[in-house]
Amino acid sequence: MDAMETVLASSLLVLLLWSGAEGREPELNSVTCGSLVKLLNTRHNVRLHSHDVKYGSGSGQQSVTGVENADDANSYWQIRGKPNRPCQRGAAIKCGEAIRFTHMKTGRNLHTHHFSSPLSNNQEVSAFGENGEGDDLDVWTVQCDGIHWDRDEAVRFKHLGTDVFLSVTGEQYGHPIRGQREVHGMSSPNQHNWWRTMEGVFIRPNQELLRHDEL
Amino acid sequence: MAAKGMNLCHVCCLLLYVITAVLAGRDFYKILGVTKSASIRDIKKAYRKLALQLHPDRNQDDPKAQDKFADLGAAYEVLSDEEKRKQYDAYGEDGLKEGHHSSHNDIFSSFFGDFGFMFGGNRQQQDRNIPRGNDIILDLEVTLEEVYSGNFVEVVRNKPVAREAPGKRKCNCRQEMRTTQLGPGRFQMTQEMVCDECPNVKLVNEERTLEVEIEQGVRDEMEYPFIGEGEPHIDGEPGDLRFRIKVLKHPVFERKGDDLYTNVTISLVEALVGFEMDIVHLDGHKVHIVRDKITKPGARMWKKGEGLPNFDNINIRGSLIITFDVEFPQTQLDDQQKDGIRGLLKQGPVQKVYNGLQGY
Repeated sequence: MDAMETVLASSLLVLLLWSGAEGREPELNSVTCGSLVKLLNTRHNVRLHSHDVKYGSGSGQQSVTGVENADDANSYWQIRGKPNRPCQRGAAIKCGEAIRFTHMKTGRNLHTHHFSSPLSNNQEVSAFGENGEGDDLDVWTVQCDGIHWDRDEAVRFKHLGTDVFLSVTGEQYGHPIRGQREVHGMSSPNQHNWWRTMEGVFIRPNQELLRHDEL
Repeated sequence: MAAKGMNLCHVCCLLLYVITAVLAGRDFYKILGVTKSASIRDIKKAYRKLALQLHPDRNQDDPKAQDKFADLGAAYEVLSDEEKRKQYDAYGEDGLKEGHHSSHNDIFSSFFGDFGFMFGGNRQQQDRNIPRGNDIILDLEVTLEEVYSGNFVEVVRNKPVAREAPGKRKCNCRQEMRTTQLGPGRFQMTQEMVCDECPNVKLVNEERTLEVEIEQGVRDEMEYPFIGEGEPHIDGEPGDLRFRIKVLKHPVFERKGDDLYTNVTISLVEALVGFEMDIVHLDGHKVHIVRDKITKPGARMWKKGEGLPNFDNINIRGSLIITFDVEFPQTQLDDQQKDGIRGLLKQGPVQKVYNGLQGY
């Protein structure tokens, strides 16, 4: 009888701990609102990047490229909510959620519109706005499996408005941004539009917030 | 004979007491200056404040500085971990199981950054010739509730770190002029790329947790730097990571310095006969308001000490200023009610005509 009770008690304890851990882990390894991240295109091994260089054609707005090196602060983007709908700091981003990517150094948002990209004639992707505010074409949805955008997961970014996917197909620029790849929008999901987070400053969900969810 | 024996006895007892006191372990709560029921946030706040005061670099003429600093680190390591704290509360320091001990350097740098803290001296002054990686600035949104009560934000920093690799690499590459002799009296100057040889490094992504404190009374645009947590530089030092505070707008309170402003709409009846109400403050406590006189639209009430704590001295607080506006009844009055009101209020017609704008 005694042995049975201990077995029952310990298996209950294991179940409790396991379920508790299951509930917590996805939240702690998610990409959260307010985090500063670098995004790597997994097919071409370049990081999403922008800088104070304008396109010589198309819209003439600030260019967005893919770079090979990992130590440039111009590859940092901050995850923010939709215009006029700020997301809560530290809240995990859900799959399907609409967000903006604000370029850390220039304060412009990842943006796309009906202009042609200079090298491949896909849709031009630019950095637009001032101090983090641009317009409705700054919004992208995160496409992933599961509930939350996981830090180690390869995901796609679909533009809200023109329905294109953020992609790289390998075309390279010459001077003055030699070697950098073109980043553009493509209408179909394929191997060229997978991205994952790399370096960054990831804000942890508020501890009190987690406890409320568990209750 | 007896006296000597007594003295010996006293000495022995004293020695025994001292030994047991030392062996029984340190009082971690006392070291941090917190109560036994302190929250994790209180503990982090106490550690951060004391770490700045007790750092050995800041107390170079105190021989016990290293020990005091080490005690602080041990106290934080135990009390900030739920499991270890439980064990310590039950069994004391001796009762702590032999676990993984994080170095105090790790704990300190999770609050202040990798390169420790440059006390007083400006970092730029010392490192003019060493190349530096880029700085990273993160806009950290904070709520007015956090400004009132303070908070800690945990972040995970994933960054490339230079680690030793086998072999050598080229570093400090520069252009130099070389003179070669082509024949008697004939020379040629050419430009050549010349590099030094350095130990090989590779960049490996590493993660660590950082603790950012939102101090009480913090103002918009204030920055919290973490030295060395910015972008790496392969031939030099990493840049810094700075958290820039952005205070969000609040639906109820408006901040002006250390003062808080809010508005309350009352009914015409309440404005005339008086009222009693509570305003829920940023930390949940209630501010009680009682009015038994007539309250005019636009009237202001000052509640001293109900504003925000001052950043430089949190014992000083600003005021809460409440402005009242009046909601008039929606339905029109019939003749009987109008007569009733004329009778009750005993206020004749005023009809004073004047210029209210005066250039505005």
